[in-house]
Amino acid sequence: MQQATDSMVQTLLDYLKQPLSALQEWLAPLLPGDEWAAYLAFALYVLIIVGGGLGAILSRNLIRAMLGLVMTFLGVAGMYLLLASPFLAFMQLLIYVGAVCVLIFFAVMLTHNTDGGEESRLPSVASVAYGLLALLAPLAVFGPFIVMYAGRVPVATPEVEGTDKLGAGLLSSYVLPFELISIILLVAMAGAVYLAFRGYNPKSDGLNQ
Amino acid sequence: MELSNISISGLIILVIACLLVIALMVVNAIVMVYAERKGAGFIQRRPGPYEVGPWGTLQPVVDSMKLLGKQIFVPSNVDFFLFFAAPVLAFFPVLLLFLPIPFGPFLTALKVPDGIVLILAFAGFGLLANLLAGYASNNKYGVLGAGRAVSQGVAYEIPMILALLAVVFQTGSMNLSEIVEAQGRWPWSWNILCQPLAFFIYLVTLVAETNRAPFDLPEGESELTAGFHTEYSGMGFALFFLAEYANMLLVSFVCATFFLGGYKGPVLDGFWWTFIKAYLVMMFIVWIRWTFPRVRFDQLLNINWKWLLPLSILNLWITAVVVNFIGK
Repeated sequence: MQQATDSMVQTLLDYLKQPLSALQEWLAPLLPGDEWAAYLAFALYVLIIVGGGLGAILSRNLIRAMLGLVMTFLGVAGMYLLLASPFLAFMQLLIYVGAVCVLIFFAVMLTHNTDGGEESRLPSVASVAYGLLALLAPLAVFGPFIVMYAGRVPVATPEVEGTDKLGAGLLSSYVLPFELISIILLVAMAGAVYLAFRGYNPKSDGLNQ
Repeated sequence: MELSNISISGLIILVIACLLVIALMVVNAIVMVYAERKGAGFIQRRPGPYEVGPWGTLQPVVDSMKLLGKQIFVPSNVDFFLFFAAPVLAFFPVLLLFLPIPFGPFLTALKVPDGIVLILAFAGFGLLANLLAGYASNNKYGVLGAGRAVSQGVAYEIPMILALLAVVFQTGSMNLSEIVEAQGRWPWSWNILCQPLAFFIYLVTLVAETNRAPFDLPEGESELTAGFHTEYSGMGFALFFLAEYANMLLVSFVCATFFLGGYKGPVLDGFWWTFIKAYLVMMFIVWIRWTFPRVRFDQLLNINWKWLLPLSILNLWITAVVVNFIGK
């Protein structure tokens, strides 16, 4: 009985797919190819990243700036999807949007963000100029490589790899950087505990220090 | 549909799936409003809604008409953009979360290899929406509710992920369909039997993550009026409400998939088992809402950091040792 229903559902799905594939054949000449679709997606994600970044820098309100940051993270996650690594994309969202941005929000709320603060004034021309100069630094480092290798390296379409390869890599060839990163996190955690417990009196009940 | 080869037909299937999910969310909200009010009435020994329609069944319809017709009131000095972005941000990511759920053997909208990571990743947007709502409405109750929502959401997310990770260790896959396939047809071959601790931890954290009583601190009405959605009326409130019920349904589906055998069940496998199991979990959530008193905030955090987190780490460690040395 189980197999009968399974095959019935399968036939039904096949039947549903027929008009869809006909539609696809009809639409195929009108649509851009895979490569152009990839360029289009890339352009869209670049737009999201740059737009979010500008929003984060230019908005005079800290919470809106954080929303711009969230948008940038979304665009970066889209870039990971385009590189055929959905796991990294989801992790990007899980950690940066779900945890980091939420904690930034918490910090902003705890520090009583007023509208007349330092960040609400427009920066001077000189500091904008220095910022633009700093923008050139990564270009100076990576620019020669881009010029040297642009269009020469044939890039194969990336395949979606399982997370098992990621895990095996992290625990074999890249185990040292992996452990070093965890030491950095441990140091940060120890610092946070030290800051939180400075002035803490163990004799009180901990609720009202 | 596989994630790696998206075609036009795949996109059309995705659009149809999204429409079906919206329909499911709305119908679910209507059914659950009635079930919750009747259930509350039963537990508190009163009749519940009984005036509108036979046995009060039309009550949720009338309720939604009221919400649609209500004036949308905007208090002074709100951050206008964020005030209206927040309910939309609460509602739409939930759509995505239903796509990787295997409702039946063939009834899966998006077969993602890391389905559970997708669900956990986009679940963070709901929390963000609550925060923005509390902040943007220029209300002290709202800000307090948002602050509570952060510390609760971030805290309870960790044992939840660790509890699900134990099942992932055991199955060796993050694909939801494969997790269902690894379980048997009868209740004694479901994951609830070999992961009882993970199931219990997940059950506690799912109540906390959906902001339901006894963990409904972010919107505790006797302390904070309505918490982060104090200033929302009409459709703004309705979108938060829809999102809350949809989140409840989602965590129930994940619970059914991970611990209760998903679409597998006695006699005949199919989507009906997924729905029956998920709605049993939903009724459980309703039941404990009307049975337990609300916890205090320090109790809430102590339960998480001092009990659930160590227990879930212990559970994960034991699972890893068993899987590694004894086999699955």
